[in-house]
Amino acid sequence: MELARRFFLQQVARVTAGAALVPLSTVANAGINDQPPRRGGDPKKRYAMLIDLRRCIGCQACTVSCHIENQAPLGKFRTIVSQYEVESLESGNAVQFMLPRLCNHCDNPPCVPVCPVQATYQQEDGIVLVDSDRCVGCAYCVQACPYDARFINDRTQTADKCTFCAHRLEAGLLPACVESCVGGARIIGDLNDPGSQISKMVEEYRGELMVLQPEKNTVPHVFYLGMDERFIDRPSAAPELWEIRDGEGQELGYEYAEH
Amino acid sequence: MTAKGRNWGTNMQSIELVAPRYGIAWYPWAVQYFFLIGLSYASLWLVIPGAILGREKWKPAARLALLGAVSTAIVAPVSLLADLHQPLRFWHFYAYPTPSSWMSLGSIFLPLYVGAVIFLAWLIWRDPLKARAGAGGLQGLIARGIPLGQWKTPRWLVVVVGVVAVVLSFSVMVYTGAEVAILKARPLWHTEYLPAIFLLTGVIGAAGLAVVINRFSGMRHPLAGDQMLTIILVATVLAGLVAAGWLAQGLAINDGSVAAALESVRDNAGWRRAAYWGVAAGILLFLGAGLMEVMGSLRGTRWILGLLALAVAWMFRWTVLMDVQTIAKHTAGFNDYTLSLGSQGLLGIVGTFGLWLAVVVVVNLFVPWRAAYGGRDGADTLSATKGEPSYG
Ligand code: SF4
Ligand code: SF4
Repeated sequence: MELARRFFLQQVARVTAGAALVPLSTVANAGINDQPPRRGGDPKKRYAMLIDLRRCIGCQACTVSCHIENQAPLGKFRTIVSQYEVESLESGNAVQFMLPRLCNHCDNPPCVPVCPVQATYQQEDGIVLVDSDRCVGCAYCVQACPYDARFINDRTQTADKCTFCAHRLEAGLLPACVESCVGGARIIGDLNDPGSQISKMVEEYRGELMVLQPEKNTVPHVFYLGMDERFIDRPSAAPELWEIRDGEGQELGYEYAEH
Repeated sequence: MTAKGRNWGTNMQSIELVAPRYGIAWYPWAVQYFFLIGLSYASLWLVIPGAILGREKWKPAARLALLGAVSTAIVAPVSLLADLHQPLRFWHFYAYPTPSSWMSLGSIFLPLYVGAVIFLAWLIWRDPLKARAGAGGLQGLIARGIPLGQWKTPRWLVVVVGVVAVVLSFSVMVYTGAEVAILKARPLWHTEYLPAIFLLTGVIGAAGLAVVINRFSGMRHPLAGDQMLTIILVATVLAGLVAAGWLAQGLAINDGSVAAALESVRDNAGWRRAAYWGVAAGILLFLGAGLMEVMGSLRGTRWILGLLALAVAWMFRWTVLMDVQTIAKHTAGFNDYTLSLGSQGLLGIVGTFGLWLAVVVVVNLFVPWRAAYGGRDGADTLSATKGEPSYG
């Protein structure tokens, strides 16, 4: 077991490595699982988000405003801020770590080629969307996203996820989460415009930015500044929240009704 | 893991305070589909020697396996459809074909396969049906109508349709395996060993199904039972070798699926149970089949082994498809999954098996499948209490 454990830890530690695993790449070369052509959107743009974790206070204003803007069913989130407590065993000091999460609008999104009806597609501007009129609710894309960014919306019975608030961007507005962010931690913009704030920050912090699960080769376009590399993979933390059980040992779960 | 948090390197530990909770997105319907379609394609392979190659010794087994292949092929697509959250939109698959998606390819392979299997069964069963044309009532009506004429089924046609069906069965086998194995988001699925074990447990289950049908249809053919026993034994050994290969290679080259499996087994009691159960069931199957091979007197209990073989095939799919979904992808720990009682849960499982049983009963009532390729129509021996008790 010790040996196996060491191998596992190596696996976790190898955070920046490139393609490595993917033994089925030969299949992908044959066309199956290749990215289908992008459609719609402004081909001159490439939207992306930069999250400055140094400014995030974990207030969940983004979570709430997204919920109000996009009406996700209760208990399902297009964006949410995961919160961790990291404690030093030597000094006993504890710090909080915040990880705002949303769809990464990946440049090589594994959710797109799997969709059997092309209801999930990527626009030319990089935004990954779901056509809920076409979606058959097979949830294949939900399985394919490594970030749990997708879910089946109980009301529409179709796949749902963050859209970068494409409808607001189109109207010249910022996404709800960006607009409501108390610390100004979320920056959205066009990477193809060298004058945009995001382009400038990407330039300035190039060596420091991190993305989630880079080894999966999804090429995420949500960049984190001030990131701790121990959180870029599935966090090795104790899931304290779920330790609270009822008398039968079942998880307590969310106790609320549909709004 | 300490009481309070996961030890994190040398001097840190971390606990997760807030994280979203995601339910599973594929329901037990998916397990039912993978189970039934696996039984179906593997059953079809058991039909090959007797029906397509014309091996006399394998004809009884082919009779049993054909019933298994057809009945599961009819029910499998129903459970697949039920796993869609928008089942009425299934026509979108054909309105927007997508060559990049294994599921889309599957939506083409599957109906062709099901059609070919039904066509093959029709060709094979129409001769015994014709022989029953004199029967009265609905049975006679069906026996006169379904064969569509008095012509004798030409042997070459059975061979051609059989070969086409087998080719299509390979496409179904490949797509069901690849569909799951390409998903790098779930390390436990993302290994080429997975389709191999799907295949082998499919064969184990199909042979088990034939044994069970052999017993409960009253056919109780000893040779067919022995042949299926050998297939279970060989497939179990192969599955064990593949699993060992997966583990060994995973430890050697640091494969993500092995790492994820070890982590899950280490951190979660449910996973430990599943691992023990899997190993125990595999060993039991191996020992049971092996013992029966050497000790003929035990063979009357073959059907119990058949049920165990079916259980192994089903449990493997349950563990792979349901339990793996409870492993959080970018948060700590495991999502709870409790089987619901409704159609997304228990009712769905029971319903699919009920539907399968109904199909078998209807076929058994109207089709003299035991009489295919010159067999004896033993419809009168349906009662399981008759027959020679020493054969299972
Ligand atoms: S984060 Fe997930 S849902 Fe978003 S584009 Fe990437 S794979 Fe798709
Ligand atoms: S759930 Fe909808 S969007 Fe996702 S893969 Fe299935 S059809 Fe496509």
